[in-house]
Amino acid sequence: MAPEDNRLTDGAPMRPVSCGQCGSRVLVRKSSWQQTSVQWNSEALRGCREHIAATSGPAAPAGLETCHALVATIRAATLNVTIEVLDDDRAG
Amino acid sequence: MSAVESEHDAVRSIDAGAAPTRFARGWHCLGLAEKFKDGKPHSVQAFGQKLVVFQSGNGTLNVLDAYCRHMGGDLSQGTVKGDQVACPFHDWRWGGDGRCKQIPYSRRVPLRARTAAWPTLDQDGMLFVWNDPEGHPPPADVTIPRIEGATSENWTDWVWYETEVDANCREVVDNVVDMAHFFYVHYSFPTYFKNVFEGHTATQYMRGSGRPDARPQEQDGSRAKTTGSNSVATYHGPSFMIDDLVYELDSGEAQCVLINCHYPVSADKFILQYGIIVKRSDTMSDNESEQLAAAMAEFIKLGFEQDIAIWKNKTRIDNPLLCEEDGPVYQLRRWYEQFYVDADAVRPEMTDRFEFELDTTRPVEAWQREVEDNLARKAAAAKTPAA
Repeated sequence: MAPEDNRLTDGAPMRPVSCGQCGSRVLVRKSSWQQTSVQWNSEALRGCREHIAATSGPAAPAGLETCHALVATIRAATLNVTIEVLDDDRAG
Repeated sequence: MSAVESEHDAVRSIDAGAAPTRFARGWHCLGLAEKFKDGKPHSVQAFGQKLVVFQSGNGTLNVLDAYCRHMGGDLSQGTVKGDQVACPFHDWRWGGDGRCKQIPYSRRVPLRARTAAWPTLDQDGMLFVWNDPEGHPPPADVTIPRIEGATSENWTDWVWYETEVDANCREVVDNVVDMAHFFYVHYSFPTYFKNVFEGHTATQYMRGSGRPDARPQEQDGSRAKTTGSNSVATYHGPSFMIDDLVYELDSGEAQCVLINCHYPVSADKFILQYGIIVKRSDTMSDNESEQLAAAMAEFIKLGFEQDIAIWKNKTRIDNPLLCEEDGPVYQLRRWYEQFYVDADAVRPEMTDRFEFELDTTRPVEAWQREVEDNLARKAAAAKTPAA
């Protein structure tokens, strides 16, 4: 078996989040206030409007840096404390 | 000590694994095309074998297995005759398509007179070769994007370096996620860093400010100082990275394209190459643009020399032990794995989009304050009876 990321196995795994805009379900993990990981699958990507817009035009090779709707969803979830921030020192 | 503690207290062992026995599927840059266009066959050690690169009379660059299928002569020691390369042993003539076209002392070419030929791409001043252990041609959607500045008079010519590294080429690919190493090894301090892996591309977005205390090229005080940078660097396949890089200097903006690429010689050796072009601008004379390209190349050379010193002494490690501040090493390697399995064995997890973002432009305290306010608002709302 391939070795696994010790941060996911010994720490916290990625958790499902649905985008407030398109409903695409991705996996999210925040190791700190400033760090965010997002795992997509092909179904989620097909449903993402910003991804479709970024990859269907003539400037397609540039790709999509960030889906702003998803960022807003994750931001709201973070502020509502529905996403765990792993190194949140407020918790002590 | 509890059982849990003793389990976590065990000595961590390094899984050094083994370098892959095959070479990555994908386009690999063999260097500037110009050096292969001198009318002579060139010998290139790549993908665990010897190749011959030669230019046909019609201008096309060709890459063949270097060993003649007749008696094993080395075609790279031969001569170019018209559109063919002639073996130095018995003058068998091989075309760029890998077929023997003529044997001067024989009436007929025997059956099976076909050698391995690699698809090539001569683009933006560079020669690319397509490697596929399964022998398939490149799919239409697996391409190297054009680099606009490379053929424009408004940009400098390539400043190009290449060097041999005694390590497996995964080491250089790992750099794409290694944030900490940019600070310690390359003296740059990203305030925003993001990796996106998707399909056959892996991108690193980086915006930041320089670390002027350490950048060696700024020590003498006579040159322009870097106040910030904006970099979008994408691996198109396993080995070729294009970095669109803008430096904010105290004297204006400098737009650059940096190539970071490699090709494997063997499982434990690769040729590392990097090239730079700089856009000429109103604020810089032509001479200054060229000097900037040369100075950047020197700076990058210095960075890679430090990397190489690390690589040649380190062990291969398949199970790196990571802290939360590290980048997505495992996810990058999962992406990289797609190039080492058969095309029909590529799994969705290797190509599915993954993002890793670090944004330090918003202070932690601002986040915390907003959460506290949010929670306080909710608590207040809960206390207020519904009207």
